[in-house]
Amino acid sequence: MKRLKKHRNQLADQRSAGSFAVMKNQNRPFATVPIHLSASELGFRVNNFSTGLQTALGRLPKTEVESADLALFAPRTVSVNVRSSAIKIGSFTFPESAEFLQDADSKSCRDDKKSQGTQQVAAASKLAERSTRIKPPNDVVKLQDRLYYLLQPPLESLLATNSLQFQFQPFPYQYEGVAFLFSRYSAILADEMGLGKTIQAITAIRILLRSGEMRRVLMICPKPLVTNWQREFKIWAPEIPVAVIEGDQSKRRWQWENPIAPVKIANYELLMRDRCCVVDKQIDFDLVVLDEAQRIKNRNSTTSQVVRAVSRKRSWALTGTPIENSPDDLVGIFEFLSPGYLNSDMQPRKMAGAIRDYVLRRTKDQVLSDMPPKLFRDAEVTLTPEQWSSYETAENEGVINLADLGAELTIQHVFELVLRLKQICNFDPATGASAKMERLEADLEEVVASGKKAIVFSQWVRTLEKIHERLQRFGPLQYHGKVPSKHRDRVIERFKEDPCHSVILMSYGAGSVGLNLQFCEYVFLFDRWWNPAVEDQAINRAHRIGVAGPVTVSRMLVRDTIEERINQVLEEKREMFASIFSENAPPRSSGMSQEEIFGLFDLQIQKSSQTNAA
Amino acid sequence: MLASDTKLLPAVGFLTVVEHPEHGFFGGFLVLNAMARPLEFHCTAPVRPNRAQEILYGTTLRPFLIGEHIGNALVQKAKTKIQLICTDLEPAIAVRNVNSTPVILLCSNSEEGESSTPVPRALRVDERHPEVPATSRPLVRFQLGTHEVAIPDAYEADRTAVEKCFKVCDGTLDLTEPFERIREAIEEAQKSAR
Repeated sequence: MKRLKKHRNQLADQRSAGSFAVMKNQNRPFATVPIHLSASELGFRVNNFSTGLQTALGRLPKTEVESADLALFAPRTVSVNVRSSAIKIGSFTFPESAEFLQDADSKSCRDDKKSQGTQQVAAASKLAERSTRIKPPNDVVKLQDRLYYLLQPPLESLLATNSLQFQFQPFPYQYEGVAFLFSRYSAILADEMGLGKTIQAITAIRILLRSGEMRRVLMICPKPLVTNWQREFKIWAPEIPVAVIEGDQSKRRWQWENPIAPVKIANYELLMRDRCCVVDKQIDFDLVVLDEAQRIKNRNSTTSQVVRAVSRKRSWALTGTPIENSPDDLVGIFEFLSPGYLNSDMQPRKMAGAIRDYVLRRTKDQVLSDMPPKLFRDAEVTLTPEQWSSYETAENEGVINLADLGAELTIQHVFELVLRLKQICNFDPATGASAKMERLEADLEEVVASGKKAIVFSQWVRTLEKIHERLQRFGPLQYHGKVPSKHRDRVIERFKEDPCHSVILMSYGAGSVGLNLQFCEYVFLFDRWWNPAVEDQAINRAHRIGVAGPVTVSRMLVRDTIEERINQVLEEKREMFASIFSENAPPRSSGMSQEEIFGLFDLQIQKSSQTNAA
Repeated sequence: MLASDTKLLPAVGFLTVVEHPEHGFFGGFLVLNAMARPLEFHCTAPVRPNRAQEILYGTTLRPFLIGEHIGNALVQKAKTKIQLICTDLEPAIAVRNVNSTPVILLCSNSEEGESSTPVPRALRVDERHPEVPATSRPLVRFQLGTHEVAIPDAYEADRTAVEKCFKVCDGTLDLTEPFERIREAIEEAQKSAR
C-alpha cells in the first residue's frame, strides 16, 4: 500500500504535465493499476530513433471517467395496522318486570335483611352445590327468548335469594320439575304417583307469580281434591292468595269474572256447570293447570271440550298416568296442550320422540333410591262353598245368556256379568260368606297388633259397607262417594291422629288420587280395578314421599275365577307395553280392550259393540 | 323484597371470554340486577388477532384483546348504569384502562377460567420472550365477603367503591356463578349462528 501511495503522489505531480494515464482495470480497480511513464520522467536516458513510431508515443491516451454515488437509497416503508376493526356484538335486554314482588312478610324480611344476609349467602352457596338451571324448551326458537331462560340464575339460588322459603327442602328432582315447568307454555308433569307433582306445580306457579310473569292461574282438579290443593298451597306458597270457586250460580259467576285471587281452584264437575262463564273470552288466564289430567283423555268428552275452551296462555297437565289405556289417551291430553300436535295414527316411536320435550316423567326407582320398598303380596284365596255355588250358577247362566244375545251382544252385557262375578268373589250375595273377608280379618289382626294402620280399597261402596260391619273392632273409617265432600278432610284427620282408627276403607274413585296417607304401611286391594294404573295410584297414597317404612300391598285374588283371568291379562299387558315412556321409565300397563273382555268368556267381539273399554 | 327496592340496588356486570381453538375469542357480558336476574346480555362474534398483532403486542396481546378490545366494546354496549364489573379472567381487567367502572378479578376462579388452550406466545421467530404475567402491573388482592378478589394497583382507589357496591348486594349476589351462565349463553348464540 505504501508503494501504491508513492505512485499516486508521483502521478499527482505528473498530472500537470499531462503525461500519464490511468487505465481502468475492471476486475482489480485498485490493487494493480498499470501506470505508464516516459523514460525522461523517470530519469532514464532514452535514445530516440527515427522509426516513425515516436509520434504515437507522444499521443495522449484515451481517458474514461466513472462516477460513484455514495448516498443511501430511500427506504421503502410498509404500514401495519395493529388496531383491530370494530367487533360485531349481539345485544339482548330482558324485561325489568323480572323482579320479585313483595309478599306479606317482606317488610319484616327487609328489617331483618342485614342479619339474614350471611345466612342467605350460606344457604345460597350450599344450594349452589346443587344448582338446577332453567333450560329453554325446544319450541322456543328466538335467540332472545332462549337466552332469557338460559341466563336465569339457578333455581335454588333464585329461591334462596328471594326469601321463598319452604317448610321442607324439596328434593333435587323436584327442583328439576319446577325448572321444567317454569320455562314451558305446554307441559305434562307425569311423575309417578307420590313423587310430589303438587309441590312442583305450586312452586313453579309461585315463582312465576312472584316474578310478575303471571297474574291469573286456574287450577282444575277432581272435586275431592279441591281442599287438598288449598292445603298444599298454604304449605308451599303461603303468601299466594287462593280462592275456591264455589257457592250458588251467581256467586260463582262473580268469582269467575272478578280477580278475587291470583289462583282460582275449580273442580271438573263445576267447570261443566259453569261452561258459559269459563269459555267467555273475556275470562282469560295466564295459566291453566289440570290435575289428574287423564280426565280429558277422551277428546270427545264434554269435559275435554270445556277445558280446552278456556282462554289461556300456558297449559300444564299433571298426571301420574298419562296413558291409561292406549297412546290415544296422550293424544287427548295434547289436544289441551297443543291441539293437533299428536294424532292417533302416529307410531309409538315417533310419538315418543315428539313428546320428549313436553313430558317430564320420573319414577320412584329413578329418583328415590333411598325410599323404602313397596312389597307386593298376592293374597290368593279360594271361594267358600257358598260362594262357589253362587259363582258357578251366575257364570253358567251368564255365559248362556250372553251367547243367546247373538248380534245384540254388547260390551255392557259382558261388563255386567264380570261385575256380578267379581261381587260374588267379594261376598256371597245369599249368605254373606267371604273368603277374602276371612283373610283380611286375619291379616288386620296382625297389622293392628303391631300398632300400624291400613287402607282397604274396593271398587264398590256396598262392599266397603259390608267390610265396615265386619271390622268394627278395628274402628274402621269410610272414605268414598257416599261420604259428603265437606266431611272427607275430617275423616282423613281422624284416621291420621286417632289411634283408635286403625283401618280406613276407601273406594278407588274417591281415595285413589291426591291423598297423602304415608303413615300407613299396609294397603289391601280387596278387589281389583280394571286398570293397574288406578291400582298404582291407590297404592301410592301410602307409598309416597315421607313414608317411614316399607309398604306392604296385599292384592286379594280368588283362584280359578274371573279375577284370576283378569289379572293374567293385565300382567301380560304390563310386560308387553313398552313404547311411549320406555326411555324414561318402565312402561305403564293399560286397561283391558274390548277383545280382551269378551275373551274372558271366549266370546267374539261384534262390530257394532266397539266402544272404549276399561 | 320490594320491586322499588331492587331498582335502587346496583347493577353488576360480568365479563368473560371463551376461547375457541378454531374461531377465536367470544366475549360475553352479562348485566344482572342485585337479585341476580338478567337485565342485559351482550356477546361478540368471534375475534381473532391477526399475525401482526400477535407479533407486535407480544405478551400484552391478551390484555389488549380480551380487556381493552373485546371487553371495552362489550361494556360500551350496556344501557344500564353498571357500578361494578366482575371478571374471572386476569387479562380482562385491562378493561379498566379504557373504562371508568371499577373492575374486579375473581381470584378463586381466575386459574380455572383461563383457557387451557395455549395462546400464541412465540411472538417473534428469532427471539424467545420471557414468561411474564398477562398484566403488566401487579394486582392488589383483598377479601370481598367469601370471595378473594383483585384489582390493578393503578386503580387501588376503586376498592372503596367496590366494597360499597358489594355491601349493598351482600346476601343476594353470588359473584362466581354468573360466569357459567355467560358461557352457556355464548354457546347458545354460537349454535344459533351456525
